[in-house]
Amino acid sequence: MNSTATQTLAPAAQARAATKIYGSGDTEVRALDAIDAVFQQGKFTAIMGPSGSGKSTLMHCMAGLDTVSSGQVFIGDTDLTTLSEKDLTLLRRDSVGFVFQAFNLVPTLTAMENITLPMDLAGSKGDSDWIDSVVSATGLTERVKHRPNELSGGQQQRVAVARALAGKPQIIFADEPTGNVDSNTAAEILGFMRRAVDELGQTIVMVTHDAVAASYADRVVFLVDGKIVDELADPTPQTVRDQMTSLGA
Amino acid sequence: MLKLTLRSLIDKKLRFALTTLVVVIGVMFVVGSFTLTDSLRATFADLADEIAGGADLTVRADQDFGSDFNRAAVPPEIAEQLESVDGVTRVRPDVAALNVTVVDAAGEAIRPSFGPALGFSFNPEAFFLSEGRAPDAAGEFAADSATAADNDLRIGGVYAINGPLFAEPFELVGVFNFGDPDSHTGLGQTMAAFELREAQRFFGAEDGYESVAVVVSPGADAAEVQARIEAVVGSGFRVVTTEVEAREQQADFDKIVGVFNTVLLVFAFIAVFVSAFIINNTFQIIVGQRVREIGLLRAVGATPSQVSRSVVGESVIVGAVSTVSGIGLGLVLAQVLRAVLELVGFALPAGPLLLRPRTVVLAVAVGMGVTVVSSISPAVRARRVSPVAALNQDSRLGAAGLQRRLMAGGSVTAAGVTALAVGMTVEFATATTFMLLGLGAVLAFVGINIVSPAFAAPVASVLGGPPSALGGIPGRLGRGNAARNPRRTASTAGALMIGLALMGLAAVVGESLKKTFVDVFDNAVESDYFIQASVSGFGPPPGFPAQAADEIEALDEIESVMRFQFSFDGLSVDGVPRDIVAADLAVADDHIDARVSSGSIAASDPLTALALHSDSAGDLGVGVGDTVEATFANNRTETLTVVAVYEDAAVYGNWLIDGTLWDRHFNRNDLSFASALITDPPGASAAVREALARDSRASVEEVLERYPTVEVEDQAEFRQSQESQITSFIRVVEVLIGLSFVIALIGIVNTLSLSVLERTREIGLLRSVGMTRNQLRRSIYWEALIVAVFGGMLGVSVGAVFGAAASLALPESFVQTLAVPWLDLLVFLAISAVAGLLAAILPALRAGRMNILQAIAHE
Repeated sequence: MNSTATQTLAPAAQARAATKIYGSGDTEVRALDAIDAVFQQGKFTAIMGPSGSGKSTLMHCMAGLDTVSSGQVFIGDTDLTTLSEKDLTLLRRDSVGFVFQAFNLVPTLTAMENITLPMDLAGSKGDSDWIDSVVSATGLTERVKHRPNELSGGQQQRVAVARALAGKPQIIFADEPTGNVDSNTAAEILGFMRRAVDELGQTIVMVTHDAVAASYADRVVFLVDGKIVDELADPTPQTVRDQMTSLGA
Repeated sequence: MLKLTLRSLIDKKLRFALTTLVVVIGVMFVVGSFTLTDSLRATFADLADEIAGGADLTVRADQDFGSDFNRAAVPPEIAEQLESVDGVTRVRPDVAALNVTVVDAAGEAIRPSFGPALGFSFNPEAFFLSEGRAPDAAGEFAADSATAADNDLRIGGVYAINGPLFAEPFELVGVFNFGDPDSHTGLGQTMAAFELREAQRFFGAEDGYESVAVVVSPGADAAEVQARIEAVVGSGFRVVTTEVEAREQQADFDKIVGVFNTVLLVFAFIAVFVSAFIINNTFQIIVGQRVREIGLLRAVGATPSQVSRSVVGESVIVGAVSTVSGIGLGLVLAQVLRAVLELVGFALPAGPLLLRPRTVVLAVAVGMGVTVVSSISPAVRARRVSPVAALNQDSRLGAAGLQRRLMAGGSVTAAGVTALAVGMTVEFATATTFMLLGLGAVLAFVGINIVSPAFAAPVASVLGGPPSALGGIPGRLGRGNAARNPRRTASTAGALMIGLALMGLAAVVGESLKKTFVDVFDNAVESDYFIQASVSGFGPPPGFPAQAADEIEALDEIESVMRFQFSFDGLSVDGVPRDIVAADLAVADDHIDARVSSGSIAASDPLTALALHSDSAGDLGVGVGDTVEATFANNRTETLTVVAVYEDAAVYGNWLIDGTLWDRHFNRNDLSFASALITDPPGASAAVREALARDSRASVEEVLERYPTVEVEDQAEFRQSQESQITSFIRVVEVLIGLSFVIALIGIVNTLSLSVLERTREIGLLRSVGMTRNQLRRSIYWEALIVAVFGGMLGVSVGAVFGAAASLALPESFVQTLAVPWLDLLVFLAISAVAGLLAAILPALRAGRMNILQAIAHE
């Protein structure tokens, strides 16, 4: 993929006036307040914000794990708000990749089986050359026959990223993927995600509260009280930290 | 800590309900069983005096062993002498007979639903007329009100009655209630009553009375009168008071009721045992899931015993709730069973349900005992959790080492098998044998359950092969989940195993019985026709009029008839009562080839002849030509000569005498069975033989038209009806045992629900990466299927081994050949697979309904 071509394509995902309300009346909480956001293809975007800002909710709604109260959410051309639960599941399986903070892998399956899990669930073979190249990019070719409990925390997260990549999804969502690991391991995981964007043309959206992690992204979106309050292109740890401080986080 | 225990119970309502339910079932059967039988006994006790029949004293022949019907008669001279004894107002001689069967207007024999078909001389003191009058002439009879009402018998109607000797028409002149003037006391029997002389003639009891009731004059001292009567009747007779008579009646009744008690308690036992497995398993899982929480409690200062107390505390609450509900449901069960018994003719006057303190104590012991004992091992494991567990992400309970497991389980299993072997081979009192067998079975099951986790994982992996290959990811996950916690899989399978093993045992023994029958039939039986009373209801095997056999024998087409009579404890040798068969020894060799190894059954003097199975001959140390002192159930002793020793006990049992010797010592005249040979004229052509065969059937059936209780079958029919009789008996046993399946099913539901809960986050992950609800559910179905098939295989194998052992241990007169019903065993396996799938429905639905976001965030 080259970057001029992707500019002309539709965005990988976008939110239009996406609103999420929990509760009603006095207890009403607006987790998302008419958010408009666009996530371009082939870009690595970080979503940041203080606790309760709605960053996780935004990601869950964008990924089809949760539904918005009003507004629209698109993955590619597909409006998620029009899909049934079953279609949402299929969309997640075929078009979305996930990396969670922890517990990303099914303990009864080997690393390789975990990587091909979405394809197996779909009953498709997947692109085996592509999977091979993803596996070799993780640097875990020797260990793919092992069960998750035989891998280190960093290795487990790399397998999780590989799984997200393996099905060539339109977009990958990562929720604090380095929240549970030390800084060396975090660097290893984030470096791998960065390479996935640069070398494999993947689109990644990552929720994080760590300025160093956010600095691996092409762009940082800041959320406060369910609204996007700012953006930062080509972030460094320092510029991110300054921005967060100015937002009072 | 108590608050914590309560909190965790309230949080897990479903788990609590299911765990409680399994205990409730066992307690319910215990309470239902004792309450029912206590209530029935109490009701009967109120009636016993009235049933004893309004007399003060009863005179009857002495009897040391055997059935009342085998007691010697009281001669008429004795009865006459009694009338002149000082202080006696009145004497009433009584006679009674078994197998006095009334035929209704439609020509159908009226079969008792439960007990025997009884005939009596009319006894005005115990038979209370509700309609008509007492029979007082030849050709008249009265019937009990239940039989009359159920079969539409009308006063003035003439009905054929099949007696022990012959069939005759009688006119119904009265209908009576037995035991109580207002309501009939039925234990499922039918009752026909005749005038005394007529009864004696019809029953073939002209030589005397079954007993003589004596009414003492109002002013006389009963004890003195009793002493005077004893002096008159001399030795060989007993004079008993009404109290003794009533006590004997009660004892007989208790014996009948005791059967219900035993059957229900066997249920209770199986139910309790299966539920112990499930409770233990549930608590193991709960402790396993709470390891981090327990670690945290320990870290903030809970002592090990506080931790284990909280586990036991939960079990105490489960036990208490199940005991209370079990008692309540047990009372309901007793009421329902009483209604069912009434439906089948077991009619006692309505009485209150009796919940004895003993029953409550037992219920508490069972309900609390089984839960608390089952929670001990999880509690011990809980106290071993260290505070560090709180800090560890993947805290798990350590599993016992493989070697320790094999050692412990192996020795427990071995102890169980030893107890079973001793119980089956050594002769003890029946109760001791049952205790030993029960204990052996329990130990064997527990032992197998200790060992089985050692191979649960590999077996589950192998069983999971096909699902894994065919079922895609759901299949692979199901296999992995079944194999990931061997202990849990093994325990869940263990609960299923128990019921299946017992079913397998019954199936193998049943198949061996059938095979033995077929082998004996094909090799030993030469007869062409088999004549017996049609079987129905739960009564003792019915007999039929001897005259039916005589008439068949008189047919030209019939060469000979062999009559069979049978009695439990008919004669005693060396002080041990023995079951006895009487038959026509002269023709025996034409009908049955019992593999005579020495001597000849067709003896020269049938009145002293005794033929023995080689086992009995060996036990007594006698051979052909030796004499044996035999005491009959009428207390008379004779010296018998051994005329033959045979090897095949399947037809004759161990002890065989001639019909003439039977007639000399037994009052019963009805036949239990007869076989017939078609005439085979020497040198007859095939055409003649064929004609004889055809005509003989028609002629025999013509004779039997006069005896509607009797049926004739040829070889093929007899063989088939006997086989299907064994089969249906085995099926009933299997279905009853199969009830433990329901409990095991609840166990699977419980385990799967807990496992699903435990895997909440994993399920959330799977769903978020695109597993559909159907795929998720399918993975749970696969898991359940693998566990259930594992349990099924364990159960079926254990059952087959137990069944083979039991078949080999059974006396040769029951089982000679071991046969394994492979198809039945496969069907059991399939049933357990289906049961597993059914049990997975609820957990699968719950798993499918989980909210993905909450599941991912689940701690």
